[in-house]
This record gives sequence, structure tokens and C-alpha cells, in this order.
Amino acid sequence: MKTLLTLLFTALVLQFSAQPTPAPAQSESILITNVTAHLGTGEMIENAAIGFANGKITFVGKSNAAKAADYDQVVDGEGRHAYPGFIAPNSTLGLQEIGAVRATRDQYEVGTFRPNVRAIIAYNTESEITPTVRTNGVLIGQITPRGGTISGSSGVVHFDAWNWEDAAIRIVDGVHVNWPWMHHRHSEHGKVEFRKRKTYDQQKAEIERFFTEAKAYCAEKPKLTEVKFEAMCGLFSGELNLYVHAHDIKQITEAVHFKREFNIPNMTIVGGADSYLVGDLLRENKVSVMVRRLHSLPRFHEDDMDLTYRLPKMLEDEGVLYCLENSGDMEQMGTRNLPFYAGTAVAYGLTYEQAVKAVTLNTAMILGVANRMGSLEVDKDATFFLSVGDALDMRTNDVTHAFIEGRAIDLDNRQLQLYRKYKAKYESQ
Amino acid sequence: MRRTIATLALLFLAFFNCAKAQDTWPVNGTLEKDLTIYRLANATIHVSPTETAQGALLVQRGRIIGIERGEEQYAAKSRANTVTIDMGDYHLYPSFIDLYSDYGMPEIPKQKRERGPQFTSDKKGPFGWNEAIKPEIRGAELFSHSNGKREALTKAGFGAVMTHQHDGIARGSGTLVALGENDNTSLLIPEAAACYSFQKGSSQQDYPNSLMGAIALLRQTYYDAAWYAEATDRRESNLSLEAWLKLQEAPQFFDTRDRLDVLRADKIGDEFDVQYIFKGNGDEYQRLEAMRQTDGAFVIPLDFPQGYDVSDPYLARMVPLSELMHWELAPKNPAFLASAGIPFAVTADGLKSPDEVIARLRESIRHGLSDTLALHALTLGPAEMIGADDLIGALREGMIANFIVTDGPLFDDDTRIYENWILGEPEILIDREAIDLSGRYAMTFNDKTYDLVVSDEPGKHKAHFEVILQKDGEADTTKVTVKLSQEERQINLQFGPQKDVFDGVFRLSGNVFSDSRIWRGKGENPAGEWLEWAAVKEEDAQEKAKDEKPTPAVASIDSVRIPQPFMAYGRPQLPEQQTVLFTNATLWTCEEEGVIEGGQLLIHEGKVTALGQKVDLEALFGKKLPDMQVWDVEGAHITPGIVDEHSHIAISRGVNEATQTSSAEVSIGTVVDSEDIDIYRQLSGGVTTSQLLHGSANPVGGQSGLIKLRWGMTPDEMLVEDADGFIKFALGENVKQSNWGPDNTERFPQTRMGVEQVFYDLFIRAREYEAEWAAYDEAVENLSRRQRRKGELPPKPRRDLELDALLEVLNSERFVTCHSYRQDEINMLMHVADSMGFTLNTFTHILEGYKLADKLAAHGAGGSSFSDWWAYKFEVKDAIPHNGAILWEQGVVTAFNSDDAEMARRLNQEAAKAVKYGGVPEAEALKFVTLNPAKLLHLDDRIGSLKVGKDADIAVWSDHPLSIYAKARATFVDGRRYYDREEDEQLRDKIREERARLIQKMLDAGEGKDLPKPSEKVPHHYHCDTVTDQIR
Repeated sequence: MKTLLTLLFTALVLQFSAQPTPAPAQSESILITNVTAHLGTGEMIENAAIGFANGKITFVGKSNAAKAADYDQVVDGEGRHAYPGFIAPNSTLGLQEIGAVRATRDQYEVGTFRPNVRAIIAYNTESEITPTVRTNGVLIGQITPRGGTISGSSGVVHFDAWNWEDAAIRIVDGVHVNWPWMHHRHSEHGKVEFRKRKTYDQQKAEIERFFTEAKAYCAEKPKLTEVKFEAMCGLFSGELNLYVHAHDIKQITEAVHFKREFNIPNMTIVGGADSYLVGDLLRENKVSVMVRRLHSLPRFHEDDMDLTYRLPKMLEDEGVLYCLENSGDMEQMGTRNLPFYAGTAVAYGLTYEQAVKAVTLNTAMILGVANRMGSLEVDKDATFFLSVGDALDMRTNDVTHAFIEGRAIDLDNRQLQLYRKYKAKYESQ
Repeated sequence: MRRTIATLALLFLAFFNCAKAQDTWPVNGTLEKDLTIYRLANATIHVSPTETAQGALLVQRGRIIGIERGEEQYAAKSRANTVTIDMGDYHLYPSFIDLYSDYGMPEIPKQKRERGPQFTSDKKGPFGWNEAIKPEIRGAELFSHSNGKREALTKAGFGAVMTHQHDGIARGSGTLVALGENDNTSLLIPEAAACYSFQKGSSQQDYPNSLMGAIALLRQTYYDAAWYAEATDRRESNLSLEAWLKLQEAPQFFDTRDRLDVLRADKIGDEFDVQYIFKGNGDEYQRLEAMRQTDGAFVIPLDFPQGYDVSDPYLARMVPLSELMHWELAPKNPAFLASAGIPFAVTADGLKSPDEVIARLRESIRHGLSDTLALHALTLGPAEMIGADDLIGALREGMIANFIVTDGPLFDDDTRIYENWILGEPEILIDREAIDLSGRYAMTFNDKTYDLVVSDEPGKHKAHFEVILQKDGEADTTKVTVKLSQEERQINLQFGPQKDVFDGVFRLSGNVFSDSRIWRGKGENPAGEWLEWAAVKEEDAQEKAKDEKPTPAVASIDSVRIPQPFMAYGRPQLPEQQTVLFTNATLWTCEEEGVIEGGQLLIHEGKVTALGQKVDLEALFGKKLPDMQVWDVEGAHITPGIVDEHSHIAISRGVNEATQTSSAEVSIGTVVDSEDIDIYRQLSGGVTTSQLLHGSANPVGGQSGLIKLRWGMTPDEMLVEDADGFIKFALGENVKQSNWGPDNTERFPQTRMGVEQVFYDLFIRAREYEAEWAAYDEAVENLSRRQRRKGELPPKPRRDLELDALLEVLNSERFVTCHSYRQDEINMLMHVADSMGFTLNTFTHILEGYKLADKLAAHGAGGSSFSDWWAYKFEVKDAIPHNGAILWEQGVVTAFNSDDAEMARRLNQEAAKAVKYGGVPEAEALKFVTLNPAKLLHLDDRIGSLKVGKDADIAVWSDHPLSIYAKARATFVDGRRYYDREEDEQLRDKIREERARLIQKMLDAGEGKDLPKPSEKVPHHYHCDTVTDQIR
């Protein structure tokens, strides 16, 4: 049996490279034994083994049930925790490098309705941020445009590729709508208020008109092509998901009724601060929720101070499908803290495996990629990682190995390089 | 009652009351000497709120010339020129006074904002540098009654107001005017008060853009004026300061925004030995004791909130509990003020119309205010506040004849104001002797008799016939409307056509006789034929049955417990200091003892009294143990309270005085907001002490406020006692305005090169300033006795608050926390400090600190960093999460801070990232958020570790304190349990109950009213680079 060291990607010897080099395809089949496997399905296997070959998982089960002889390499996992690669939905990784530098911002296109803009083609695989995210176990992301009423289309990528084509898991998985606020910010004499928005009805009518026309277009296409509507057809057929970014209860209920009115098969509320108030409505209409960054302040003074932390537990109890997302201030770099939002959800009610599921299989289901990823199950992509300790707790999260489609990826990043560089400087003094 | 000749004269007077009494004006025609004495007899005269007389009031030439009391009035003293008016038991009260008015002021011209910065005043002429400081504005010069809505005020019973232009920080003088129609006679005291606020108003100048800036500007102006008055060698004339100095003799009037502003203004007053009169906001009861301690008098509005339409439960969430509570309690505010012995007057400000004042005061009287004090607040109270009680506010000989006439005690529900005499001239609001026609009459014409019904009061009479018609064999009463008009005793009636009754329009005219018992006259029928008619009153109008709901019972103020702070999670009483013995605890001492498992900790009288494996109580207390709680925490972890070195919570109106390159004179400590929910939220994350820092918009920011999270206390009580002073500096992109857009390219510096020069220049100036004072002190010392006697003093330097603060830095009396990212600029600032002979205390953010940790250690600076932030600006491109570990390894005192209201409640988890990134040992990592920031704040002798003698600032955790699963079970500050998870659950229930009760009450009270829908208040969450103008 070999040690885990043998699995480390070789590029690491190049001490001061630029971004980590994408790993080559899996050439040998591998069985890692003696791990605690968090399957992502809500189950956990102690003393487990994970086998994978040609980028796919071939075995998940008790170590003693695995057939070691079938594998080119058998490695002792030394009691580490194994998790499916965590998935960061509603992400702008690779779209923005430095917030304050305009030239590096690619997530906001102009225009109100632009479903046809596709985030994935602007996804920069050479971003210096992405490798720092992988280092904490986040291996997959939904790259999502921002702004406008219809921001555009998102796509799903894994985080170890030469270019966006190689990275793509789904070029387009859905279209994003920012549901208009029924209230707007009003500032007078230094006091800020939300006021009922006079233009809300108008804006909603515009969305309805756009969808009505798109639906007619998709039902029977004319000779001439309408690019914007072309991007909408998957929503009506069920191929794509409609992501509605909404927080307030009134927005959420309006969006659900919109789904019924337009007979849209798949809808997800993104953010959903008030979603816990309308669990029945969401469940009955098969609307899922991407729960906004857990580490947020409650909206109202008198809200329970842990209201935002408890949101996943409340949705779990309501039987609503949900996952965790991370948009907000400094969201690109903050993606590496996604595992800890799941940890907070454990502190505030979820079981541990439910919390793992909220950043893996649930997310994969919402993004429509659960056939390939999101859990440690046979025939799925071998996209997973090992951590010495509990990966949901920053105190113990220590990712030593990560695999994307069976490829042992380089967990180094520019920050680690700088760390080594300056540590060496002081050590030499 | 017969109309007397005198009242007719009075009516006449009311139409002809101007153009007299200006002795200096040329006479056109013959001179009117205005000698008539009006003797208002048989009246109840409210001489003052506490003194009533029966008798006659004598008025001549706009003044009260005497009161005849009791029997005296029947003595019929012979006076020449006397016209007696029988007041028939009416009441006379002094007319009301409003001290917070802008009556008669011209509109404030709106200034156009130019693009780009405006550093100094645009005002032309030899005035001061800041457009918001304009003591030279004279209310009396701006005043003209023709600008104002005089009648709205006189109708409401007001007779005089102090009016000023509500614009700017130093607003100039307020002027006391009577509400007459002649500017010359109306002006009573030209400079009745000097008026101030914290709002800069129409000034378009950048400085100040924050409340703390406004405070600093006022303080500096006091110092400048004192210098200006004394300086013998000054080279400038400054009319603003001259006006300021002159106004210091007048009463000082401060317009505030809320109860905390009152405390802030009062503090300024204390510094300069000034007692302000405060324009309050109706929320004084929410911090009543603190208001009392200001020793100030208050002018309070009566704009009690009318509530919201809370029928939509979703929208109703937007009304915070504090607003619901205020809705219920606001009418009690005057009674609360009275109970605390705080002198107050009322203003009509904030009301839709001044005539609501009486109704609101009646409401407050139902809520416990006495009639006497209510009257005092309208009359003598305000007069006394501005020292005008020899002129107005009472009815005494020699005073201005400003009084109102009512038909009963002022605050009785049915009492109305009939006349308002101003400067001895009556204004008739309701004709006291108007003929009341209401009643039921038998009216005869065309040989028929009809039932005529007249309703309502004089001036508003309505009339109709009641005619009985046979309809399908049944009697049916029909109303036929009559158009009735009345002028004195002349009346006109018009009615018809009406099916089956009148075949066309009848027009009648006639007169009223015998009071109103008999009417008769002539008229024309539809055919144009004359007819005669008459009506005889058969019964008087019935007293209208009151269909109002019975007034709901109100709670007395004694039974109301005011939560501190006045909002959700406030408590009616502060938590007591407890004696607690924690047993079975894992103690993270952050001292040499390290982590003690299964240990005990005793807190007593606000201090950590003992800790270890076992506490020997007997050795401490002898046989007599104090009242003590033993809390077996069952293995739970106890740490020192979290200390946040870099926080921006609990700050009122602006975290950045972002306007000038240096704003060393401003202080966050002056604008602490004790009513910020984030204080409580952070207690729930174990935080006990925070440094509230100025933002990073300029190289020299402002001074810090160091607070303990004493939730419920006042801002000053939250400040850490005897703490060293700190000041924020900043470097890099923020101070050179890199990300401020194309309009901000003028302010020096725009490059890192310039930033260095800013610091050199300021510190050189500070040293020279020091030398200037030293030379002065020496010269004073060396004065000869003769010079001293003759007052031949050397010229005194100008006190400069900005240089004061910088000089303190140079002399290590104030310490720097510097916002910094890149190593080059950090290096630069250390060179500046070294060359100037002081040590930089802390670099905050310091994200490239790992690149020069050795230099930092050599200089002696500490580092307070983010655990893992980066990539938001170009200058943080090289930030790494291992920064903390390297700094620590190199011997730099290292802390992790929040700079974020949410993250602050998870700082223990941020500390854990020092373990994750760089492998700092856990006990050391915990110090990043406890002992180390305490060191950086020079408070490590008091807080930051579990050590006997230190403050009992501790957090009890449900789990390993660095774990994501750890929750604070309780947080103590000074031995007071300000947060407790179980109590928190109860508070949540209480909040829900209280909301439900108030919403039900609001729904009930709002029935049938058109109330506004709720709108959400969005709280501010400040970061370093939040730049807004919040005092406009």
C-alpha cells in the first residue's frame, strides 16, 4: 500500500510557478482506503474506501468490501475525511479579478433583458482567486452574470482547466432574473427608507411581456432569429432552470405565481431571505432555494439575531430543496469560505450530513448536474477531496488532496507561493 | 345678549389696527395718539399658569396697564378714555409662544452643487471660512411678517415666536417677534438667542460631511472666537467671529435631531461653559435621566406619530418595535419631562397646523401632564427660557398685551379660542356675540306652516324643512334643503323647487328679532309675487349627542417601564453586577497558565477575582460568602471577552470626515450611537470591547471611540474609562481617492508620493505649533509685575484642535492606528515616525505586513489584520491569509479584526483561520482576538485575558472557542451579564408579544383613518470606505 504523498500532483515541485497547471487525465485506477466518506447524499460511511478509474467513481463502501486487486494503486487514506467537491453556485469567480479595477470586472453587461449573454465564455481559468478556493475543497462553480432585469445565462464549470471549454460541465444551465423590488431606497434628510415602488407594476409587466413574447417565439419559430428569445427556449422546455434572485416575501410569492402563469418547469429562488415564511408554497410548486450567504445580518432589528444562520434548517424542516450560495461583498475571494457556511448551518440546526448535502448534492440537483457530480456514488465523476479534519470547520479544514474527474489537482496557489517565499526570507535571516 | 357698543368698536378695531405707534415716522394727516384704554371686565384672568384673578384687564397702547381684581372692578374707577368691554365670564390667557419657528424668514435659497470638491466658503465678504458657520445672519434683519403665515399661528392662539433661519450649524440670531402686522412694533427682542444645529443646511462646502465634523467645527469656532477676541496681533478681520462673540451674551439655542444629539450638544456646552436650550424631538422620555443631567431646558414638538396602516402583516414587519412603542408613549413625553423636573416649552414644529397644539396638549394631559404645566409650556415657560418673561408669557402690568379669550378653561375639550389680542389689537377668531340661529321653528308663508330646522353653529348654519307627505297611504317625512345665509341680523333663505311641496324657487329675506326667537320679512314666490313670512322658534337646538368612542384609559407614567435602549432587546433595567463562580470550565486564560481544564473562575464586583483548578472561597471572603451564583458549565469553554480592534458599529451619522486631507480634530468618541442593534448582536458573539474607528478616506482621519459593549448605557457610559487616545491614519488607494470617480482628482494627495508629504508637513506644523505655545508660556512666565498689572500680555497663539491631536501623537500621548496595505507605504510611514520621534502603534489591515514583518517588529508597531480578505482592490492583490501567522512568528503583536458588523460576531472563528493558515497554536490564535488587540489598545492591564484583577469581561462558549460550532452562551462585561442565550430566547418571545399587542392596538386606533403604509428604515453598516454626507 502506498502513502498519500504519492498522489500529490507533481507540479508542486515548481516552487514559484504562476497558476497551477491543470492536471493530466487519470491514467491509473486508484483505491483510497481508510477514510470517513461523507457521501453528499445525507449518508456517511466510516472506514470507507473510494475507488475511481478513468475519471469515474467505481467503488464507494466499507474498506473491507473493496477489491484492492482491481486497482493499479491502493492508498491508505489515514483516516481523512472525504467529501464530494463542494459546489459554489451563483458565483462570479473568473468573471472579476479585482473589485476596484473596472477592467477586471466582467459580470455586468448593459441592458435590461439580455438572457443571451453567457457568463461561461468570460470565465477566466487563469484567475488567481480560483486556486485559493480549491484549496478549501470548493471544486465546482456556477458562473453567473449580474445586473439588469434578466442578467443572462449561467454555466457550470469545474476549477481545473486550461480554458473554459475544458472547464465546462454545462455551458448554459439557466437564465437569471433579478425580480424587481416592490420597495425602493429613499433618502431624505439623512434618513434612509424603503418606499413602495411606483414602477413595480410597470417592471413586472415588462418581464411578463418579455416572457410572453419569448414563449410564443419558442413555440413556433419565425424565419428570422430573435437572439434574446432563442436563449429563453430552454426555460419553457424544462432544459434550463429559471433563477429568480429575490429576498422579500412579496417578491418570492410573485415569482412563484409567475412560474405557474408561464408554466415554467424549473425555478430556483436565489437569496431567499424570507423563503422560510413560504415553505409550503415553495414545496408545492417545486421551487428550490439557493440560500443567501449565511454570514449575513438579519434584515430587521428585532429579528432573531441568528435568523440568517437558521435559514437552512428551517427550509430543511419545510421540505424545500435548497443549497448554500455565497454572493455579496468580496464574493469571489469569499468562495473559499463556503464550507464554513455549511458548518454554521450545523451549529444552527442541520445535521452534519445535511449540511454537506447543502453544498454538494442539493446544489448539483438544482444546477442539473447531479447525474455527474454532487455525491460520492458509483459512476459519478471522481470529483472529491480529502481533508485531515472536519472540512466544515475552519479550525480543522485542511485539504490535502483533491481530484477533479479523477485527476489529482495541484492545491498550490499564489498565496501559498507568497507565503513560502516570505517564510523562506525570514528563515534565511 | 345685546351687542354692546364696545364690542362693535372691537370688531372695527380688528379691521383697522395698523399704522400706529411708530413714533419716528412722519405723520400723514393728524396724529393719532392712541390713548384709549380698553377695560376687559368680568373676565377670568390667567395672570400666570399658577395665578388666576377675577376682574378686568386694562390695555392701552399695546401694553397691559393694570388688572382690577375682584370687587375692585365694580368700583367703576373713573378713567378718562376708557371703553369697557363686558367679557361675560370668558377667560383671558397669555397668548402662546413658540421658540422654534421660522415665521417671517425668507426662503433659504438652494445652492447649486458644482462638480468636484469645494474646500472653502463661497460666500463673498470678510466672513469665516465655513459656509455652515454664519453667526452673522441676523434673524431680525431677515424678518418680515409678510413672509410668514401669520394667521395660521394667531388662529392657534400664538402671540409671539422666536424665529430664526433654520439653516447651517451656527445659524446666527433668533429674534423674538409678536405676531402683529407691523414689523416695527412686532419686533420685541432683535437678538433673542444664538441658534445652532448639527446640520449644515444649504452650505455646499464639503466640510463637514459628518456629525463628528460638525461637532469639531463648532468646538474649533469657540476656540477661534476666543482667540480672535484676545489676539493683539491678528492680521484678519472676520465678521463671522465678531458676530459669534457678540451673540454669546444671548441665550444659546440648539436644534437637535434626537436624544443622543442633545447629549452631544450638552457636552460641547460643558466644554465652553455654555448651557444650551435644546430643541428636542419628543423622544426625551427614552433617555430621561440623561436629559435631566444636562440641566438644559427643552423646547419639544408635539408631533406624536399617528401610526401606520398595519393591516398587511408582511409590510407591518417594516415598522420596528421602537416605532410601535414610541407611537404608544409619545403623548406621555411631556408628563415624563415634568416628572423629572425638566423645564420645557412646546413648539408647533412638526405639526400639520399650529392649531393642533392644543389638541395634542390635551392628549398629553390625559397622559398625566398637569394643566398648569401645559399652560406654562405654552406661555411663561418659553418666555423665561429666553429671558423675555418681563414682556410676554404672563398678564401683568407693563407687559405686552398678548392674550387670548376663551369660553372656558383652556384645556377643556369643548373650549374654543374666540379672540387673540396681539400688541393690544384684537383678532376675532369667533364672534363671541354671534347670533345662534340653531333650533326648530314654525315658519309661516303662503298660509301654510312649515317645520324649519336650523343646525350647526353660527357661521356654519344649515337649514331644512321637514315636510310630511302622504305616500301610498303612509306618512313620509321629506327633508327640503334651505339655503340660509346670515349677516348679523339680516337673513336670506332660498329653497325649492321640490316635488309636491314647492313648485319653484322661493327667495325670502328678513330680520331676526328677540335674540333669535322671531324672524320676519318678505320674499318672492316662483311667480315673482311678493309674500310675507315669519318664523317663531319652538325649541332650541339639542345638545349634540357625542358619538365619539369613550376615551380609552391610559396608563400612568409610573407604570411604564422604558427599555434601555429604547428598542428591541432593550431592558427596563441594566443587568446587575453579579458574583458568579463558574465551575467545571475549560478556561482559556490567554496567560501563562494556558488552558485550564476542569477549572473554576470567580467574578465579583466586576472583576475576575480568582481562577484555577479550584477557587478557595473562604480565603477570599472568610466565612461570610457574598450572594453568589454557582454555575456548573459542564466542561464549557470560557475565554476573555473578544476585543475588536477595528469596528464601525454604533456610530451616528458618518464614519468618515472625508473632506479634508487631515481631520485629526474629529472624534468618533463624540458620536457613539448607544442604540445600535449591532452592539447586542456582537455581544451574542462574545465581543466585549470595540475600537470604533474613523474611516480611511483621508491620510489623517479622526480620533477613535473605545467602547465596552454596555448595552443599555448612554454613549458616554459606554466609553472605556481613562483609555488612551487613538487616531486613525490611512494610506493607499482610499486616501488618494483612486476609486472615487473622475470628479475627485483635485484633493492633495493623489499619489503615494504625496501621502508621505502630507504627514511630514502636518507633523512639522505640529512641532512648530508646540514651539509657538512654549514661547508664549515662557513669555507669560517672564512678564514683569508692571506688565502683568497693566495687562500687557504677549500675543496668544490660536488653539488648533487638529494640531493638538497631531502634537499628542508626536508626544506619545495619542496613538496611531493606520489603515495600510502595501509594504512600500508602511515602510514610508515608519520612516516618518522614526524621524519625528514616535512609534506607530498599530497598522490595521496591514495585508502586506508579512513582507516587512521584521521591520514592523523593529519599529515596535503592532498589526491588526483581516484573517483572509483580499482581491477587492489592486493594492490587496498580494494579501495572503497567512499574514497573521508570519507577523506573529516575527514577534509583532498581532490581532484579527472585523471592520464588518456581521463578521464581528464571529471573530473567534476568524482567529481559527490563523490556525488553518500558517499553523499558529490555538491558544495563541485566540489571543489574536483577545489579549493582542487589548495590548494594541493599551488596555491589557484591564482586559484581554483571564487574570485576577482584570475586568470581568468574559464569554462562555458552548464548544471549543475556535470552532465554527461554538456559540456564546453568555457574555459578561464588568461582571454584568449583557448577553445570555436563554434570556435571549425570552426576549424574543417578549418582542413578539409586545409587537402583537401594539399592532392590535394600532389597528384598533386606526379604524376608519387613512394611515400611511409602513416603510422600512434601512440601517447603515459602515466600512472604512463608506463616504456619505450625512448632515445635510
